[in-house]
Amino acid sequence: MDAREIILARLRAQQRDEPHPPAWRSRRHFPDLIARFGQALEEVGGEFLRVANWEGAWEALGKVLDDVGAKRVVVNPDPPLDRFDVAARWPTVEWHVVGRDGDVRSFAREADVGVSSAVAALAETGTVIVASGPAHSRLAVLLPPVHVVLLPASRVTVDLFTWVAQWRGASSPLPSSVTLITGPSKTADIEQTLATGVHGPGRLIVVLVEEGGE
Amino acid sequence: MSPVTLGHFRAQARQALADPFLQQALAGATAHFREGRERALAELPDAEALRDHLKAIRRATLARLADHLETFERRAQDAGAVVHWALTPEEATRIVVQIAREHRVQMVVKSKSMTSEEIHLNAALQAAGIQPVETDLGEWIIQLAGESPSHIIAPAVHKTRQQVAELLSRATGQDLSPDDIPALAAAARRFLREKFLLAGMGISGANLAVAETGSIVLVTNEGNGRLVTSAPPVHVAILGIEKIVPTWADAAVWLALLARSATGQPLSVYTSILTGPARPEDVDGPKHMHIILLDNRRSTYVGTSYEEVLQCIRCGACLNVCPVYRKVGGHPYGSPYTGPIGAVISPLLFGLDQYPALPHASTLCTACVDVCPARIDLPRMLIDLRTETVEEQLIPRVDGWAERGAAWVLRHPRWYRWASRMMRWLLRPFIREGRLHLPPRWDPFAGRRLPAPAPRLFRDLWERGDV
Amino acid sequence: MATAARRIAFFATCLVDQFLPEVGVAAVRLLRQAGFQPDFPPEQTCCGQPFLNSGFRKQAIHLARRTIAIFEPYDYIVLPSGSCTAMLRVHYPHLLRGDDGWHERAQALARRTFEFTEFLVHVAEWQPVPTRSLPPVTYHDSCHMARMLHLREEPRVLLKAAGVTINEMPESDRCCGFGGIFSVRVPEVSNAITADKLREAVETRASILVTADPGCLLQMRGMLDHTPIHVEHVAVILARAVGLLDKENEG
Repeated sequence: MDAREIILARLRAQQRDEPHPPAWRSRRHFPDLIARFGQALEEVGGEFLRVANWEGAWEALGKVLDDVGAKRVVVNPDPPLDRFDVAARWPTVEWHVVGRDGDVRSFAREADVGVSSAVAALAETGTVIVASGPAHSRLAVLLPPVHVVLLPASRVTVDLFTWVAQWRGASSPLPSSVTLITGPSKTADIEQTLATGVHGPGRLIVVLVEEGGE
Repeated sequence: MSPVTLGHFRAQARQALADPFLQQALAGATAHFREGRERALAELPDAEALRDHLKAIRRATLARLADHLETFERRAQDAGAVVHWALTPEEATRIVVQIAREHRVQMVVKSKSMTSEEIHLNAALQAAGIQPVETDLGEWIIQLAGESPSHIIAPAVHKTRQQVAELLSRATGQDLSPDDIPALAAAARRFLREKFLLAGMGISGANLAVAETGSIVLVTNEGNGRLVTSAPPVHVAILGIEKIVPTWADAAVWLALLARSATGQPLSVYTSILTGPARPEDVDGPKHMHIILLDNRRSTYVGTSYEEVLQCIRCGACLNVCPVYRKVGGHPYGSPYTGPIGAVISPLLFGLDQYPALPHASTLCTACVDVCPARIDLPRMLIDLRTETVEEQLIPRVDGWAERGAAWVLRHPRWYRWASRMMRWLLRPFIREGRLHLPPRWDPFAGRRLPAPAPRLFRDLWERGDV
Repeated sequence: MATAARRIAFFATCLVDQFLPEVGVAAVRLLRQAGFQPDFPPEQTCCGQPFLNSGFRKQAIHLARRTIAIFEPYDYIVLPSGSCTAMLRVHYPHLLRGDDGWHERAQALARRTFEFTEFLVHVAEWQPVPTRSLPPVTYHDSCHMARMLHLREEPRVLLKAAGVTINEMPESDRCCGFGGIFSVRVPEVSNAITADKLREAVETRASILVTADPGCLLQMRGMLDHTPIHVEHVAVILARAVGLLDKENEG
């Protein structure tokens, strides 16, 4: 017998009927989902900017790029960013649009900012959720020191439980990589002293677009 | 490795107690984690019910673990991953080395994995000529120092900033100041960034795995878990067979309690959900994904009184409340698994004969049960293991005589009276000011001066009508 | 119901019998003041917990059975020890599971077994009348009493009603370091934990560190060198406060 058969045989010999508990239902209620999201995000060290519409979003992004002094920016054109030509707005910046401009790896490691949207966000924990795909490079929002998320307000849900219930209901297959991001990269491994940006981005900026559509 | 006997544990513990930095670091770190956990759970509307729910999920999953493992295997294969099964640590390391050789890998990057510590993977890789590089900052520090982790969550809690600066300066060839911790972290970022991009393979553990989608879930705060599983062309994940849940509804409960119990964070900074290797349409990500399901005796405990320990989600909360761990840290345990959970699973996974001291290195204060997200009754299992050390004669023979003799006396009230008088007579030369002063050679209390027996028993006072 | 007419047994526990008879005296006098006339079944010795905890299960089972046989004729069994109470109430039924007849007897005994302060508060509903004032104390929650029996308020309620001020210490329910056999198997660590506990007790500026467990009490007294605080059992403090114990002669 090989390892697989031995392990399964041992477990089968002890198998017993025990009802599996039903799905836990979220007991969270936030009167203002967006406000809670922003507050939770700031508590974990993220930066929260709330704008009315996409024009406001570009203005906010422009300020961030100025502030960082960004020279090279990589963007994952996740929906709904695919509707806009983001790069054209800042011609002085060197852009890499994932899916359009070829090898992202060598560009992203030298980039100052990574821009993406998010498939969902969790109000309870201030979490944004990004997913891999043809328009979303994992490294584009991981290697640069700053990650800017342009997030339509409609994508904010209550918590982990409501998010899981939503996509399980939709029964679409999971992308190969889904990442829940809750704040900037941090460590306390040296004398319990907090340091940010140890491997992932040291700044996480979420620009929440109230009328961001879907 | 020589067995972790009481002598070994005590010698290491004495060193820890004599190290003022370690005492301060342990007190600070464990207090920080304790307070964080309390705050995070208090913030939930229903933390206690959620813990009950987690326990029910874990118990029910173990009851049908074979089914869930098979479902997981099938779904992971559907997503393009290769699933391996390993009965022993040696089998697991052999599989990893074989994968590395197939892909002509010379250097691997690793994210913190207790399971890889359990199978001593780094030593096996090095023996095969493959260089392992730990990328969790704490784990890298102790790799550079040639040590083992001293806390599940904070592996380098025992290192001072001076020691860290020295280790990192040597590794990076720079002159780093111990006084600028962000600069130390930045130096690690720069140095390890190159490793991520050059490595032929990334090795991770998995905090949990979800059968319904064949996914593994990896949580980190630094982002090294994301890099290890995104940058190199091959990803190998190693996990114990018990780290599985049937559905995402179950996984959400696990995740909701994991970081809150560990550090007090609502979620760890990064929760990576990985389902197979990169798809053809993906822009990047590993081309190959291998998942190794490790048994190492776990399956032999399902259906026994030790099954409950397989409900552990490795949050480390029990360490932070343990009065023993808080004084001695992780190293006296001589195992990657330390504190109360380590005192139970180290003997179970590696053999009681290898860890005869650990079941005894506890006051049975039950603080661990109070904070365990799955309410695992570790003290009960510590007592069961102690019983095994007695049955297997792993304690000094003289202890056995003393215990059996005392129990016999206590069952015979007349002999109990006689023994009480005898004890007083024997101890009389050592009593000063109402306390026992035993000569250091015979002193089993290491300097504690216990109160002497009272001149009269309570029962004597009762019989004389003095009560 | 004339509760006072019911039969009550005092289980002194071996540590009180051997090392702390004044705790037994104080507890019995308080029970009498509360309207009960406790018996002291003379065959009693030890509940068996030390043997269970050190891995000598067979010996623990023998002691559990004889303890059940000795105390089961009584309506109430009262112990001045949280830890031994937990042994009777929580461990006996587990230890004797599948032991025909004994399991039920263990469960029946468990229902009638009370820790001393618990009995005074919930069964006797005793109201102390303080006759003298005592210096402030700090209270150490023993592990098994706090976490296995969930008795945290009872001793505090009594101390406060007896006019005693409690200066709480941080983590009052953190282990004192005793742990029975642990204090001999790993004594250096045991002592270090106790030293921390005593330091925190002193920092509350209390004069007396009070506990309801003889094991903790002996352990902490064992480390008292140069520590400006006394360690005392809650029964002794209560008896002093209501004038049932003459401090000079019997405390």
